[in-house]
Order: sequence, then C-alpha cells, then structure tokens
Amino acid sequence: MTPPRRHLWIAAAIWAVLSIVGAVLVAGIQIIPVIASREAGIENSAFVLLAVLSVPVLMFVVVGLAYSAIWFRANGDEADGPPIHGHRGFQAAWLGISFALVIGLFAYGAAGLVDIRGAQTADFEVQVSAEQWAWHFTYPSTGATSKELHIPVGQRVHIVINSDDVIHSFWVPAFGIKQDAVPGRTTEIYVTATVAGTYPGLCAELCGFGHTNMRFTTVVSNRAALKAWLRKQKPGSEGSQPPPSGSESAS
Amino acid sequence: MRALKPGLVRAVVGAAIGAVIGAGSLILAGIVGMEITDGEILGLGYLLALIGFLFGIGAFRFWLTWAVGREVNIEEEHAAHGTAGDWRRYFLFTTDHKVIGVQYLATAFTLFLVAGSAAMLMRFELAQPGLVLGKEAYNEIFSTHGAMMITVALISIVGGLGNYLVPIMIGARDMAFPKTNALSYWLLPLPILLVAINPLLGGFDSGWTAYPPLSQQANLGQQAYLMAFVTVGVASILSAINFLVTVFRMRASGMSLMRMPIFVWALTVTSVLGLVATSVVAGAFTMLLFDRVLGTSFFRASRGGDVILFQHLFWFYSHPAVYIMGLPGLGAILEIVPVFARKPLFAYPLAVLSFISIGVLSFMVWAHHMFVSGMATFFHIPIMFTTELISVPTGIVFLSALGTIWMGRLHFKVPMLWVFGFIWAFLIGGITGVFLADVPTDLTLHDTYFVVAHFHYTIVGGAIFGLFAGTYYWFPKITGRMYSERLGKLHFWWFTLAFNATFLPMFWLGIEGMRRRVADYPPQLGGVNLWVSFAAFNIFLSVAVFVFNIVRSWRRGPQAEANPWRAQTLEWQTASPPPIQNFDHIPTVSSGPYEYGGGLGVPAEGRATP
Repeated sequence: MTPPRRHLWIAAAIWAVLSIVGAVLVAGIQIIPVIASREAGIENSAFVLLAVLSVPVLMFVVVGLAYSAIWFRANGDEADGPPIHGHRGFQAAWLGISFALVIGLFAYGAAGLVDIRGAQTADFEVQVSAEQWAWHFTYPSTGATSKELHIPVGQRVHIVINSDDVIHSFWVPAFGIKQDAVPGRTTEIYVTATVAGTYPGLCAELCGFGHTNMRFTTVVSNRAALKAWLRKQKPGSEGSQPPPSGSESAS
Repeated sequence: MRALKPGLVRAVVGAAIGAVIGAGSLILAGIVGMEITDGEILGLGYLLALIGFLFGIGAFRFWLTWAVGREVNIEEEHAAHGTAGDWRRYFLFTTDHKVIGVQYLATAFTLFLVAGSAAMLMRFELAQPGLVLGKEAYNEIFSTHGAMMITVALISIVGGLGNYLVPIMIGARDMAFPKTNALSYWLLPLPILLVAINPLLGGFDSGWTAYPPLSQQANLGQQAYLMAFVTVGVASILSAINFLVTVFRMRASGMSLMRMPIFVWALTVTSVLGLVATSVVAGAFTMLLFDRVLGTSFFRASRGGDVILFQHLFWFYSHPAVYIMGLPGLGAILEIVPVFARKPLFAYPLAVLSFISIGVLSFMVWAHHMFVSGMATFFHIPIMFTTELISVPTGIVFLSALGTIWMGRLHFKVPMLWVFGFIWAFLIGGITGVFLADVPTDLTLHDTYFVVAHFHYTIVGGAIFGLFAGTYYWFPKITGRMYSERLGKLHFWWFTLAFNATFLPMFWLGIEGMRRRVADYPPQLGGVNLWVSFAAFNIFLSVAVFVFNIVRSWRRGPQAEANPWRAQTLEWQTASPPPIQNFDHIPTVSSGPYEYGGGLGVPAEGRATP
C-alpha cells in the first residue's frame, strides 16, 4: 500500500507537467480570430493570459479526480476510508491561493478596462443610429450619412450610439468592441482601428425577428481615402450606398 | 358525486368558470362599446381562472373553514395527507411533503422533456446555415425553451428532492406549513400550461429575459409568459418561507445547525435567496405587465421611463436565481460524495460558510450581465471584483469534494458517476465564467455562443447533473425499489459524452463570433453546428434511457433495503419508502452526518450502525 504522502507527490508531479505543457501550448495562440484594433489587441492578450492561468486550475481538479478514480477504488470491500474531517494547512493554502488569484485577476482586468476605455478624446466622430432592422451612420464633420461605417486607420474614433425603437448592440468583432444602443439614452465607445480593410459588423442584442440579419459593413481606410469618400456622400441621403453585402452569411 | 369533491376535475371546472367570468365580462364590456384590449381580457381571465383552479383543487377549504369560525373536520384534515400506496393522492391537494416532492419531480421531468424537445427544434434549425423553420418561429422556440428550462432548474431539486428529503433529514414529520406547501405546488400547473400554449397566443420572441422595449412590442404570448413567471415567483416565495421555518424550528433533538446534512444547508441558503430576490423580479415583471396592459411607462423611454432600470431589477433577482438553481445541486453532490467515498465530508464547516458567502455575494454581482448595456463605466470595476470574488466560496465546494474523494474508498455506483460528471461540468462552467467576469474579454464574448456554452455548463452542470445524481441516489428511498444500475450507467455515459460534445464546441463558435439568439450563421460555421446538432440529439436520446429506467424500476424494480448505500443521514434510518409520519419514533441525534471511518461516530438512537 502506497503511503498517503507518496500519492500526493506523484499526483503533484503529474499536475505540474500537464500544467506546464498545457500553459505553453495555450500561450502561443491568437484567440480572437481577427484583430484589427488596439482594443481587440488588449482583449486578446487578456484572453491568452486568462487561458494560460486556467490550465493549472483545470489540471488540478482533473488530475485529482482521475488519480483518485484509478488509485482509490474500493474494489468490492466494505471498509471505510480514513476519518479525515479536514486539514487546516491545506484549507488555508487553498483559500490563500484563491484570494491571491482573484485579486491578481481583478487588478489585471481593471487595468485592461482602463486601457481599453482610454482617454475621452478623439480625432474623428461617427454617430450610429440603430432601428429595427438597419444601421445608419452620420459623420458630423461633413454631415454625410451612410449605411456602411467608414473610419480612418490609426486614429481614435468616437462612436456615439442611439436607438429609435428597441435595444440593439453595436458590434464589430474585429474591433473587440460591443456597446448596446439604448432607447432614451446615448451610449458611446472609442476605438482605434489598426489595420485597413473591410470587416463585418453585427447587432449583438436580440431585437426581434430581423435580428439575425441586422448587419453592416465596416470599412477602415487611410485618412485621404476616407476624405474622398466623405465628399462623395450627400448629406442626409443614403441612396448612394449599396446595402450591407451580407459578408457574414450566404442567406 | 365524486366529481364535486375537491380534486382535479373540480379544479378544471373552477378554472373554466373563472376564465369565462374574467374574460367574458370584459368581452361583454367590449361589445357594449368600452375600449377593451386583448391583454386585459387575457389578464383578468387568467387571474380568475387561477383562483377558480385553486378553489377547485381544495387549496382554501381548511383555511376558509377556520376563517368563518367553524370546526375543521379533523378526519378530513388527516385524510389530506393521503393514503400510502394510493396513486390518486398525487393528483389531489395532498399535504404530505413526500407526495408534494414527487409531484414536483414528475412536473419538472415532464417540463424537462418538453423544453428538451424545443431544444431539438432549435438544433434542427441550426444544423445547417440558412433557414428551415424561419426566424420568427426560431425566436419563439428558444424563448419557450429558456423559460421552461429555467423553471425546471428552479423547481426540480428544491421543490422535488428538497420537499421530499429536508423534513426527513432533520428528523421532522412534515414541513412547517403543509397546506402552504401544497398550495405552492398547485400554483404551478396553470402558469406552466399557459407557457406551453403560448404559441396559440402568438408566441413570445424576446427570450426568457424579456427586455423591454422588445417585450412591450411582442405578442400576447409575451404577456402570458410574464403572468406565468410572476405566479411561479409567488409559489417560490411561499416555498422559501416554508423551508426556512421548517429548518429553523422543526429539527429533531440533537440536530444542531452544524450537524445538519450539507444538502439541508444548501436548501436553507437557497430559500433565503428565493425569499429575498424573487419579490424584486416579480415587481419588475409586474411593472412590465402594467406597461403592456394598463398603459404605464415604467420602462417606456419615449414617455420618461428607463429601459436600463428593468435590467437592473431583472438581474438583481436573476443572478441570485442562478444560485437558486445551482446551490441545491452543489448540496446534493456534497451529500453524495462522502457516502460513496466512505469518508467524512472534507472541511464541512468551510463548506457551510461557502454556501452562506455565495448567498451573500450573489446579491452583489448582478450587473456583470450588463457590461455592454451602457451603464456607468465606474460601476464595471466593483462588479468585476465581486463577480471574481464569488469564485472563492465556489472553489471551496471543489475543495470539499476533492478532499473527500482523495484517499477515500470509492464506489462508482451511478450517483457517484454523476458526481464526477458534475465536478467536470461545473469546473468548465466556473473557469469560463472568469472570461465573462473580466470586462476586457467580456466585451468580445458578450452575447455570443461562448455565453450559451458557459451557462449550460453551469446550470446543466450545477442543477441537472445534481438532479440526476440526487434522483438516482434517493430513488430507492422514494420508491422503495432499486433502479437498474446498467441502464443508469448507460444514461450517465451517453448523456455526459453527448453533453460535452454539444457544448464544448460552442465555446469555439462564440469566439469565432457566432451570436446568441440567431436562426442563421456564416456558412463556414456549418460543419461544427451540424456536429453540435447531432450531439444534442444524443442528449435527448440518453434522457429517454433515464425515463425508461425510472418508469420500469418504479413499477417492477427489485425491492430496496432501508439503507442500501450504508449512509448515515437520517432519511436512510427509516423505511423505504418512509411511512406517512416519516419515523415510527423521532430520532435523537448525537453526532454529525458523515462520521465514516469510525472517527467520532457514536451511532445515535435511530441511527443505524454501519
């Protein structure tokens, strides 16, 4: 019969190996599929860090369960296990590590949040208006309007969001930002796009049966191209724009 | 005239009379020219039907007799406990807590099958990109699925196993208020029926969360859901009061608080949450009903109302509600672990403290459902902290379970298999919860399939795995018969593999940007969605094995002993099934509930020697 201490050491060794291997594997991956903004970059780092930290937690429980299932079976006899009601040192260590993890996670999360929200200043402003089931974008600098969202690359953009009917949610997955459009309130969010290109945008809050198809296209271009595009937009008319291209779905 | 005796027939007649009077009077008023809306007709019709139903079933007959100052017929009151072995008592206003527990269990499992069928329809729509049932139908189906499954998770363990077991586990003869207990149960059939038939009223498509203004636009089916929810809320509050009084006033001699089985502790904390939080959501839903039916503007932005206020009120209940669903499951698991590990529950006092801490903290985390709602940024910070903090007491549950299993002598009977499945599922739910508690990662994950996967891991993991574990564990006690171990194992492995095959890929779908509550998705996600649909169908099939096992074993299973698991808690020290009064003699308790290994264990009077 293996003494209790040896069981602990063997299980701990298995746990350590699996944790290190798992953490190294996870640390290398980009989790958010498309990253096209400063904010999405911050979120991806947070995602990877949390994933790395969760590996040892996961492995602790899994190794504990699997090891016990293999080594501590009753094998048909009716004897009881040792009458252990608790272990002060182990309980204290468990609590201490849990608290330390929570405080660390919280500090890191709060710093990330402050980083994402950033300074409340911007180089460019867009007003977003959501309704069942369409998006409208207005550019206060020229008064132009459109059904596509156009913003400059590398500049901080202030997005001001309104809704006329029910709650919608403005979401561009590649930007890592999501903000509800709330009737009777104005909400806002800042984003700095880092990679020029075309990205799908979506409504993320259930808003009725048109919710599934409530999409828009986001175009990130350099300042000159954006200016040229803005000049072509007539104020107050959306006629020159094609409808959202449905790049998220074939339907 | 049997039909005129209090019972289901009279209840249905009473409901019909109530509905006709309520709806009919308003329809008549409409005919003579008053402005009457469909919502008002449905509202009054339902209210009077509910009252008629309760009168018919006999919910008020003893109270009314007292109220008018007449002598209550003692024999009749005793008869209301039901006669052992008589199946009709399950369809009457029976005051025996064991009958009520079985009523809840049967209701919950029936509802589980109906809501599961709705899930099959959802996975049918989502199996391939493109539309089959259509967007409107899809929204109505997932709303109904959500509403019903929430009800299952809320009532199955608390109402079913809790009612059956708590009085026996503490050495009482019944709940403190048996008639109120029966009333809590009989409040349920009508609202459940109303949600089930809501497609006839146009359905409701705003999800179980019913956020206004969407829920103010929705069909009459929406109003049916709101009224049903408030009714179920009233039932929960009554049941919570009953549990609290029972636990604090009716324990057998020697059953100190720190000798209570951990399952009883879980139900106690759950009841505090149910009592305090439910009234808030009942208030919010009532305000929403007023907005819809009576023209008020609590949540109408165009007339000065505030739509975010609803979310605060809703989640102030609905986050504690997650623990109302989860804590009883945690309690059931920790109750079962020591028996099949043959060791005392590890760190019992800490586990009790963790349940209480979860209860307290659960009131301080609601706004993590609102990180993208537009509430003030500063409020994200404390809510992120409290949300992450609640993982400390939740982690203690893992400490207790693992500590008990370690160096134990494990018997892998079906209940113990479910314990292992539970720990795995709840662990995945807990770890992924951290990604949603962290605001930076939540900004990208909010309202995606990552959330869907997470809450299925926590609620199926917490409530349903706990429910299955508990149902198998206490099946011999409740029925006096043994289930089939082989079918139980088949159910466990099939369900657990299919469950993980369904919900693990959903985390990936969410990260890839698949939104919640959509009937269609980008074609490149088609392969994984087809797999998920296939796996989900397997969950459904595995539950069929469970139903078959339970029904067959109840009718023809081998006779169970009083204590087949050699457990030490009080419910196993009486016959299987227990007599109507639970014990021939109320036991005196002289030790804790899990003295395995002969530690301090001195068998009490009425407590079997292992």
